[in-house]
Amino acid sequence: MISYIARRFLILPVILFGVTMLIFSMIMMLGPYQRLSTYIKDPAQLKGAEDIDQLVEKFGLDDPWYEQYGRWIGGVVKGDFGWSESAGAPVTKAIADRFPATIELALFSLIPVILGGIILGVLSAVNHNKTLDHIIRIFAVVGWSFPSFVFGLLVLMIFYGVLGWLPPGRLSNWAYEIIRSTDFVSYTGLYVLDGILNLNFKIVVDALRHLIAPVFTISILWWAFILRITRSNMLETLKKDYIRTARAKGLAENIIVYKHAVRNALIPVVTVAGQMVLGLAGGLVIVETIFNIRGLGQFMANAAQQLDYPGVLGGALYYGFFLILINLFVDVSYAVIDPRIRLE
Amino acid sequence: MSEEKLVEVKNLKTYFYTEEGVVKAVDGVDYEIYPGETLGIVGESGCGKSVTSLSIMRLVESPPGRIEAGEIIFGGKDLTKLSQKEMRKIRGNDISMIFQEPMTSLNPVYTVGDQIIEAIILHKKVKRKEARRQAVEMLEKVGIPLPEQRVDEYPHQLSGGMRQRVMIAMALSCDPKLLIADEPTTALDVTIQAQILELMNDLKASYGMSIMMITHDLGVIAEVSDRVAVMYAGKVVEYTDVDTLFEDPKHPYTWGLMNSIPKLDKDVDRLEAIPGSVPSPLNFPEGCKFNTRCPLAEGKCFTDEPPLEAAAEGHKVRCWRYEDLEKIKLRGERIYADGGVDK
Repeated sequence: MISYIARRFLILPVILFGVTMLIFSMIMMLGPYQRLSTYIKDPAQLKGAEDIDQLVEKFGLDDPWYEQYGRWIGGVVKGDFGWSESAGAPVTKAIADRFPATIELALFSLIPVILGGIILGVLSAVNHNKTLDHIIRIFAVVGWSFPSFVFGLLVLMIFYGVLGWLPPGRLSNWAYEIIRSTDFVSYTGLYVLDGILNLNFKIVVDALRHLIAPVFTISILWWAFILRITRSNMLETLKKDYIRTARAKGLAENIIVYKHAVRNALIPVVTVAGQMVLGLAGGLVIVETIFNIRGLGQFMANAAQQLDYPGVLGGALYYGFFLILINLFVDVSYAVIDPRIRLE
Repeated sequence: MSEEKLVEVKNLKTYFYTEEGVVKAVDGVDYEIYPGETLGIVGESGCGKSVTSLSIMRLVESPPGRIEAGEIIFGGKDLTKLSQKEMRKIRGNDISMIFQEPMTSLNPVYTVGDQIIEAIILHKKVKRKEARRQAVEMLEKVGIPLPEQRVDEYPHQLSGGMRQRVMIAMALSCDPKLLIADEPTTALDVTIQAQILELMNDLKASYGMSIMMITHDLGVIAEVSDRVAVMYAGKVVEYTDVDTLFEDPKHPYTWGLMNSIPKLDKDVDRLEAIPGSVPSPLNFPEGCKFNTRCPLAEGKCFTDEPPLEAAAEGHKVRCWRYEDLEKIKLRGERIYADGGVDK
C-alpha cells in the first residue's frame, strides 16, 4: 500500500500540470487587451493606444501561449504565483490567509455529513418502511432537492434577517479584536481550534455560532445524498446470504447489522464519498459568497469575476492538490474496509 | 426405530403473504428426525423444502412469511413458540445450518477464522484465544490444509469447496445435535460434491449428530440418507427409508423422478420424463396437487386431497391410486411417455 501511495504522489505533479494547462488555455482565449484591462484602474492615466501596446509588450501578453505558461510555471516552481489583483496581494498570501476559513468550514461539514448520513441511512434501512424510515426519507428528499444557493439565502433571511441568531462572517467584531491582539496566538487559523488552544472559550462559542448556518447549508444536500446511498446499500446487504449465515449462527440482530452488514454496505458509500468531496468543494464557493466568509471559494469566485487570472490559476492549483489528496484518502480507506481490494 | 425423536415436525404450515396472494410454501408437513440419522428431503425447486428448514431455524423472513400452524418439537420445546432471543441460543448451537452458495454465504470482509470464532465465543463462552484454537482444530477436521494459516485468510482467498468446508466447520464448531444442510453440494463441481458428502458422512459418524439433507438430487439422497421425505407443492408425498424408496417408489411423482435418471444396471432406450412443471403456489389445483402432471389422475384425484397414509410398514404415501401403480409396476409397464431424452 505504501508504494501505491508513493506512486500517487509522484503522479501528482503531472495531474496538476494538466489542470493548470486546461485553465491557462481557457484564459488564453481572452485577447491580450482584455487581460491587460484587469490591471488598469484608471483609464485616464493612459496617454493613448501606444501606451496600451507598450504595456502589452512589457508584460509579454501577446507572446505565444507556451512562453506565457512557461513564465508562470517558472514562477510557481520558485513559489511565486503572481499578483492577485482581486485580493490586492500576492496570490500565495491571499490563499494562505483564506485557506483556514475554508478548511474549518469543510471539516465541520464533512464529519457530520459522513457520520450522520451513515447513521441515518442505517437506521432508515433497519426500520425499512416503518415511521422512522418515512421521516428520514422525507428529510432526504427535501434536502436533496433544495439547491444550496436558495437554501442558504433562506437560512440567512430567517436566522439572521428575522431572528438575528446566526450572523454571517466568521466572528463578531469584538472577537476579531481579541484574535488580532498580541495575547492571542494563531496556531492554525481555524478559529474554533485556536480558541480551544488559547483556552478562550468565548471565541469558540462565537466561531461555532457563525459556523452553524453555512455548515447547515452546505451539509443538508450531502446528508441527504450519503443517507440515500447508505440506505439503499444497507437494504441490499441485509438480503445477502452471509447475513442469513450470521443469523443462523445465533448472533443478535444489532451485531448482524452493525458488524456484518454496515461494513459491507459502506464499500459503495466510500466510492461516492469521493464524488461528494468534489461537490462540496464547488458548494463552498456558493456558501462562502452567501455568508461572506473570507475563504478560498470566495476568493476563486471574485478572481474569476474580475479576470484575475493569476488568482484563478493559483486557486485551482490549491484546490486540485487537496482534491487529489482526498481522493487518495478515499482509495486507501477503500482498501482498509474491503479486504478484497489490494492497492497495487 | 424406537428411540426418542430429536425433532418432530407436526402439521407445519408456513405461508407467505405477498401482494399477489397467499403463497402456501409449506402446507401441512409432518416428519421426524431420530438421533444420529440423516433425513433426506427431496423435491423440485419451489416445493417448499428450503422453507421447511428455515422454519425450523425460525429464519423465515417476516414479513412476508409466517409460520401459520403446526409444531416443531425439539428437546421437549415447541420451537414455533419460542421468542427470537430463545431461538438465538439454539441457532448455531443445538441446530446449525449450511447453505447452497458457499461463494456468498461467508462475509467477505472478515477472515474465515473471525467468523468461526464468533460463533464459538457466542455459544461456548470461552476466551478468544481458546476459541481460535478450537477454530483451527475444526478447520483441520473438515480437511482444510494448513489450518493455522487458512484461519487468517479471507473467503475470497478460498475455493468454493474450501468455503463449504469452512461453512461446515463453522456449523459444527459448537457440537450441534442437528445439522441442516440446504443443498450443500449444488453449487460445487461433481468431484468436490463427492468429497463434501463423504466429509459430512464422516463427521456425522464422529459427532453423532443428525443431518437434515435438503436436495433436489436423488444421487445425493442415495449417498447420505437413512430415510427420505419426498416433497411436492408444499406437502410430503412419500416418506420411507432410502432403500425402500429406491426399490419400491409408491407415489407416481417419486416413480417419475426415479425413471428420469439414467441407471447403469438397466437397459432402457429412453428415459421417462414427468411432463409439465410444478404448479404456481398461488394457484394450486383442487384435489391432489400432482393431478396436473399425473398420468394416473382420475375422478377423485381432482376433487379430494389424498391423505399421507401408511401403504406398508414404515412407508407412507399421499396418493389415491398407489395400489393401481403397484399393478402397473408388476406388469413392467411405463406410466410416463418418454421425454425424448436418450439415456
